[in-house]
Amino acid sequence: MSMLKATLPSLAFLRSRWLGCPLALMLTSTWALAQDKRWGPGEAASDYGYRFHDLFWLITILVSVAFALVVILLAIPVLRDRERPGHRASFDHGKSLHDKRLTAVISIVIFIILDAWVLVIAMQDLREAHWALPDAEDPQTYRVEVLAQQWAWNFRAPGVDGEFGTADDIITINELVVPKDRPVSFNMSSKDVIHALFLPEMRMKMDVNPGSINKTWFRPITAGDFTILCAELCGFAHYQMSGKLRVLEQGLFNEWEAEASKLASTAFDADDTEAQWAWDWEK
Amino acid sequence: MTSDHIHPEPTTFLKKHVFSVDHKVIAKQFLWFGLVWLGIGGIMAMMLRWQLANPGVPVPLFGKLLFPRTSGVIDPASYNTLFTMHGTIMIFLGLTPAMIGALGNWSIPLMIGARDMIFPTLNMLSFWTMVMGGAVGFYSLFVPLGATEAGWTGYPTLSTTVGGVGQGETLWAIAVFLIGASSIMGGINYITTVIRLRCPGMNWMRLPLTVWGLFLTSILNVLFIPVIGSAMILLVLDRVFGTTFYVPASIMSGGTGGDPILYQHLFWIFGHPEVYILILPAWGVVCDLLSFFARKPAFGYRTSVGAMVAVTVLSAVVYGHHMFTTGLSAMLGESFMLLTMIISVPAEVLFFNWLHTLWKGNLRLTTPMLFAMSVIFVFGLGGLTGIYLATIGTDIFLHDTYFVVGHFHLTMAASALFGTFAAVYFWFPKMFGRMMSERLGKLHFWLSFVPLVIVFCIMFISGYAGMPRRYYDHTSTEYLRPLQHLNVATSVAAFLLGAAQLIFVYNFIKSRWWGEPAPQNPWEVGTLDWTTETPVPYYNFKTIPVVQCGPHEFSNPVLGPDTDWIYQTEKLPG
Repeated sequence: MSMLKATLPSLAFLRSRWLGCPLALMLTSTWALAQDKRWGPGEAASDYGYRFHDLFWLITILVSVAFALVVILLAIPVLRDRERPGHRASFDHGKSLHDKRLTAVISIVIFIILDAWVLVIAMQDLREAHWALPDAEDPQTYRVEVLAQQWAWNFRAPGVDGEFGTADDIITINELVVPKDRPVSFNMSSKDVIHALFLPEMRMKMDVNPGSINKTWFRPITAGDFTILCAELCGFAHYQMSGKLRVLEQGLFNEWEAEASKLASTAFDADDTEAQWAWDWEK
Repeated sequence: MTSDHIHPEPTTFLKKHVFSVDHKVIAKQFLWFGLVWLGIGGIMAMMLRWQLANPGVPVPLFGKLLFPRTSGVIDPASYNTLFTMHGTIMIFLGLTPAMIGALGNWSIPLMIGARDMIFPTLNMLSFWTMVMGGAVGFYSLFVPLGATEAGWTGYPTLSTTVGGVGQGETLWAIAVFLIGASSIMGGINYITTVIRLRCPGMNWMRLPLTVWGLFLTSILNVLFIPVIGSAMILLVLDRVFGTTFYVPASIMSGGTGGDPILYQHLFWIFGHPEVYILILPAWGVVCDLLSFFARKPAFGYRTSVGAMVAVTVLSAVVYGHHMFTTGLSAMLGESFMLLTMIISVPAEVLFFNWLHTLWKGNLRLTTPMLFAMSVIFVFGLGGLTGIYLATIGTDIFLHDTYFVVGHFHLTMAASALFGTFAAVYFWFPKMFGRMMSERLGKLHFWLSFVPLVIVFCIMFISGYAGMPRRYYDHTSTEYLRPLQHLNVATSVAAFLLGAAQLIFVYNFIKSRWWGEPAPQNPWEVGTLDWTTETPVPYYNFKTIPVVQCGPHEFSNPVLGPDTDWIYQTEKLPG
C-alpha cells in the first residue's frame, strides 16, 4: 500500500487556498448534479394548487408567445437591416394618424389577450377560492390558530370540544396535523416580527403579522407529510424556521385528535399563563 | 435668460476637481462613485452566490479576511447583512449615481444647450450628500453591535429593536435618508434645468428622449423620495427614542402601539416608483440610441413620450402588488391587480416603438447599440414575468421566492445596468475625450448578456419550484434540497457574469488614460452634446446654440444621398 501511495501524485495542492476552492465548487456541483433533482414544485396537494397550475401555465403560454414575437421582431432587423454600402434606412417618424392608430390597436389587443384574460380568470379563482374563507361555524371547517415567533411555529387547534382557550386545545410546535378533504382555516398572528406561513405543496402563503390577525385557508386533497416554511425574512435563523404538515384521512385524524385532546387535558396547567395564548376566533 | 447663467472657471485644484460646481465634473464624480459601489455590490453578490452553491464552505481568496471568526465561512447573520447591503448598495449607491447622477448631470445641460445646471451649488451638495450617505452606509457594516440584517426593504418589526438585528440598522436608515436627500436635490435641479434652461428652439417635442426619461425620473424622485425619507425617520425614532410607530401594542410592555404594515405602505409608495426612477432614464437612452444607431428617426416620438408620462403617473398607484400576501383586503387586492395590469399598456407602446425604430433601419451594431438592444430583450423577459406576479392567484405561491428575485433583477437591475453601460459606452468619448475599445466592449457585452440571462432564467425555475429567497442554506430543508443543482448552476453563471465585468473595468481604465483620442462626433449624431468640441470646454457652448430641428432626423431624404444625419442646430434643407 505504501508503495502505491508513493507512486501517486501528491494531493497536497488540494489544500492550497487558490486551487482548493474552485475544486470545492466543482466537487459540490458534481454532488448536486448526482442528487435527486427537482425542476418544479411537485404535485399540488390542495385543490387551490390545481387552480395555481392552470393559471400558471396559461400565463406561461401567453407570455412565451409574446416574448417569441419580441425576439423575432428584434432578430429580423439585426439579420436583414445591417449597415452596408449603398443601404439607407427608411425615413419614418411614425407620427401619422395611421401609425398612432396601429400603436393603440396593437397595445389594446395585447392588453386584452395578455392581461385582461388572465385578470378575469384570476378574479374568478380568487373569489371562489382564496378569498372565499370557509364558514367558521360549519363543523366541517377545521380551525387552527397560528402564533409565529422567532423561530418557531406554534399551532393551536380547538380539540374535540371545538372551542379555543380550553384545556383540551391541541398545541403543537413546528408540526401541524390536519384532516384530508376538509377546509383548514387559519387565524394567524406573530409574537415578534413578520413571518409568512408558506405551505409549498398546498401552494399557499400568507404573512403572519404582529399586532393583527391574518386569515387564510386551504383544503388538502392528498394525505401525507408535507412542508411548512417561513417565507418572510425574520432574522438569522429564518431559513431554519420550517416544520411538518401532516394530512391524515378523516378516520385516522379523528383517532389522533381524540388522543391528542386527551393528552392535552391531562397536561393542562391553568397557572402556566405563557401557554394560554389563544384568542377568540375572529371572523 | 440662458446666456447669463455663468460662473467663473475655478483655478485651484480643490475647486476644480473636488468641490466643483461644474456639471461635467460632478457627472464624472457620480460615475466613478457609482462604478466603485457597483463593484462592491457585485462582489457581495458573488459572496452570496458562493454561499448558496457551497453552503458552509469558506469563501475563497478573501474569506478569512472578512469573516475571521468563522474562518472564512459566511455565518447566517453575515449572509443577511450581505444581501441587505447588496440591494441597498446596488440601488442607492450604484445605479442611482451612475444612471441618474452621472448620466443626468452629463447629458441634460449638454443636450438642451445650457452652460450648466440651474443650481450648480445644489448640484455639488447633492453629490457630497450622497458621499456622506455612502460613508454612513459603509460604516454601518462595522459597528460593534452588528450590521443591518433586515433586507433592503427593512421591514419592521424585524428592523426595530424587537427584531434583534444589529445596531447598524439605525445607520442604514440614516444612510438611506441621506441618499434620498441627495436624490431630491438632484431631482429639483434637473426639473428646473429642463424647464428653464432649454436653448432657443429646443421645444418640448425636440428634446432628446434621454432628457425626457431623466426629467420624468426627477419628478418621481421629488414626489416619492420624501415618503421613504419619512419612513426612515420614523424607523430611527422607533429604534433610538422608543416610539412605537411600527411596533404594535400587543408586543409592547404596555402603552399604545402602531402598525408594522404602515411601514410597508410607506416603503412601497416609494418603492414602486423607485423601479421606474431607475428604468425611465434607461428607457430614454434606449429610445435615443436605437434611433441613433439604426440611422432612423425614433418611431412615434410623441407616443413614446406619452407612454413614459403615463408610466410616471401610473407608477404611483400600483405599489400594492408588493403586498398581496400581507393580508390586503379583497377590494384593495383586486384594484391593485387591475392597475398593475394597466401599467403594461404604456410599456407595450414603448416596445412597439422600439421594434418599429429598428425595422428597416441601417443598423450599426456598436457596443452602445448592443447594450441598448439587449435592454429590449432583458426588460421584455422581466416585464412579461411580471404578469405572474401581478396576478394574485399565481403571486401567492411565487411571492418571496426566487421567481421574484429573477423578475426584479431583470427589470430594474439588469435593464437599468445595461442602460447605464449603453450610456457609458456612448458618452465616454465626449466625457473623457478618448475612445473605448470596441472589441473589448463587444466581448464585455456578450460575456455579460449571456450569463446574465442564464442566471435570472434559472431563478425563474427555482422560484417556480418553490425556493424561498433570503434563505442562508437551501440544503437544510428536505423539500428544498433537490433544488440545489439549480443553485449551483446559477452560481456558476453568476461567477462568469462577475468575471466579465473585469473586462469593462480594464477597458474603462485603459481607455480613460491611454485610449485613442476621440473625434468631436464619433457616432455621427445630431444632438447638441455632439456639436460642441471634445473635450467639452468649461462653458460647454461658446455661444448658446439655436435649435432648428428634432434630434432624430436620420436618413431624411432631403439631406441628399451623401449624408444621413444633421445637427439639431442646422436647418433641414428645402
